[in-house]
Amino acid sequence: MSATDTGIDGFINAAETALEDIAATRQRDMLARTTPLLRQQAVDEFGEFDALRRHVKRLRQHTLDNLDYYLPRFELEAIHNGNQVHYADTGDEMNAIVLDICRQHGARRVAKGKSMVTEETELAAALQGERLEVVETDLGEYIVQLAGEKPAHIVGPARHKTVGQIRELFLAAHPLGERRLEHPEALVAEARQVMREHFLKADVGIIGANALIAENGYSMLVTNEGNGDLCASLPKVLIVCTTVERLLPRGEDAAALQRLLARSATGQRQTCYTSFYSGPRRELDGAGPVETHIVLLDNRRSELLASDYREMLQCIRCGACLNHCPVFAAAGGHAYGSVYPGPMGSVLAPLLESLEAHPELPDACTACGRCEEVCPASIPLPDMLRDLRHDKSVRQIGSRGWRRGLRLHAWLAVRPALYQRASNLSIRVLHWLGRRRGSLRKLPFAAGWTGKRDFPAPQRGTFMQQYRAVERERER
Amino acid sequence: MSADSRKRTLARIRGATRGQDAESIATELGKLGVAPIARAPHRNLLVSFMVNVLRNHGSLAIAADRLEAVKAVRQYLYDKFRSQRLVAGNEPHLAAMPWREGGVLPRFGELTPGEKAALSYADWGIAETGAITLATGKHNPPANHLLAEHHLVLLDVDRLLPDLESFWRQTILTRGKRPRGINFIAGPSSTSDIEARLVYGAHGPQALHIILLGKVSAEAMETARQLAQPPGESG
Repeated sequence: MSATDTGIDGFINAAETALEDIAATRQRDMLARTTPLLRQQAVDEFGEFDALRRHVKRLRQHTLDNLDYYLPRFELEAIHNGNQVHYADTGDEMNAIVLDICRQHGARRVAKGKSMVTEETELAAALQGERLEVVETDLGEYIVQLAGEKPAHIVGPARHKTVGQIRELFLAAHPLGERRLEHPEALVAEARQVMREHFLKADVGIIGANALIAENGYSMLVTNEGNGDLCASLPKVLIVCTTVERLLPRGEDAAALQRLLARSATGQRQTCYTSFYSGPRRELDGAGPVETHIVLLDNRRSELLASDYREMLQCIRCGACLNHCPVFAAAGGHAYGSVYPGPMGSVLAPLLESLEAHPELPDACTACGRCEEVCPASIPLPDMLRDLRHDKSVRQIGSRGWRRGLRLHAWLAVRPALYQRASNLSIRVLHWLGRRRGSLRKLPFAAGWTGKRDFPAPQRGTFMQQYRAVERERER
Repeated sequence: MSADSRKRTLARIRGATRGQDAESIATELGKLGVAPIARAPHRNLLVSFMVNVLRNHGSLAIAADRLEAVKAVRQYLYDKFRSQRLVAGNEPHLAAMPWREGGVLPRFGELTPGEKAALSYADWGIAETGAITLATGKHNPPANHLLAEHHLVLLDVDRLLPDLESFWRQTILTRGKRPRGINFIAGPSSTSDIEARLVYGAHGPQALHIILLGKVSAEAMETARQLAQPPGESG
């Protein structure tokens, strides 16, 4: 089996395995029902939500169009604020920079806030490999860390876990004697107690950034738990790990983003904490980090800026497309084999890594279009997935049989007369074959479809035949 | 390593952008206009702020003057802890409060392990979100608002802003005048990471209590309480 075939089987197999887990499927169904409702409520209450979307889109477009100005401007202001600014071309380079800073300070313990960028670079594993103790302090991230898993969702990393599963993880990980831990409240209280120690002992804090403000060098951090703020405030060294495209021109632009992000992500009007950090503690401050670093990762984003997929850089990582995607709801985040799952991940993972590494993801889509409808940045995700499928075909990635089938279809589709004759013939054949049961148990070339269900035998003519019949009826 | 990456990254970005001068960029940005803000729950700024605080699961008290404010702090501490003790930042407004007359024993400084309640003096309240803003500094140790179980905040009703943009427009953040951190706090710390069920008191405070200092009518408070109730609930 070729690497490509493994890739295709990887997603399909992982999705099938995910569907076999009844409890997890129920959990995903529940989330797929409730999370869109929460967003819709917040959007309806807001008022001019579409105008807000358009405004932020134009703003981000302007920022990306002028990134050559805004990025150095941010860097300049951040340095004036007392930060050390680093650029990393690759994920490995970001990890090496962070490790180097930890080593310079003889750090042993790291308290880490939620950051998809550090998931992308697998920073925690890189630091742990060098014997640093890294604790994920976001509750969801902490749960998946204890489980030895990757986040299943970019906003709710442990949403796939049940209370019972989390209870087992906590009982095994925390030596706190006998206790019940039957409710989320008890689990949250225990995490708070355990985590408090980590915050107080950590030598280095690592956080991500929801935005970087060019005019004043602040980085924006949006959380509900307050863990990111503790990471940014208690350890003596703070490292902000983020990416080069996360710029906004002004503080007031962060306000617009804040409005859009919270409502799109969790249906909240705003999160509990929206914080802006400029650098190390000031002369008269009694607390706060004494040294702060900002690491700006590129990892192919500047290439994306020059490509047809540039709009993908407008993604604000809210997870709305995940919450509204039927494929994500069915397969779950882990099936994607990438830290970025769902529609945005199906576009981003092949672009940040390669189509060869994720050949299956552009196909993980029913083209229903819900993702684009709810995307706060109005990113044309279904179009991009289609374009990636085209790229795949051009570069001959994917199984040969599949590509031949698509070529045959394309050949037929541009010959309407032949297409109609062929579909007419196949409908007659299928009708004849299924005349007794009204359905077919097996179909040639479609074993995957009929493997799970019967195919209803066509009862009438082709679409075009029926359409013409209706037209004739109307003319009479 | 980082310097080479910087050069390469910026070169790639220059190749993919328009290379406009700062003036043209500022003009273009100005033409983008302003973002729409959330529909206010009430035409009165103060009522809107109070509605949003309550919707964010914060609690409210009203104090007409500074002595009343201390009494409101005392009442809260008594209700929650049967205690008169709390920690307050070295903030001039807080230092000038009539603590002794009001019967509260504050300790000024940074919260230490075991202390459960801390009081901050908010720079601003944002009506649009119900958030209060704090700037870190000597007056405002981060442990006080991040590690206390109960976070009490004193907010002067004259310090209300309609929306988030107003905060940025009126806050001077030129070089050398930028606080290390600016925190917008809208409600107690929370998480819905377990089965998407909302739980308060994740890492930070389990409760956020805002004492409004100034003229607030009982009717305004009542209107806010009614508007803050989810649709379908009454009483």
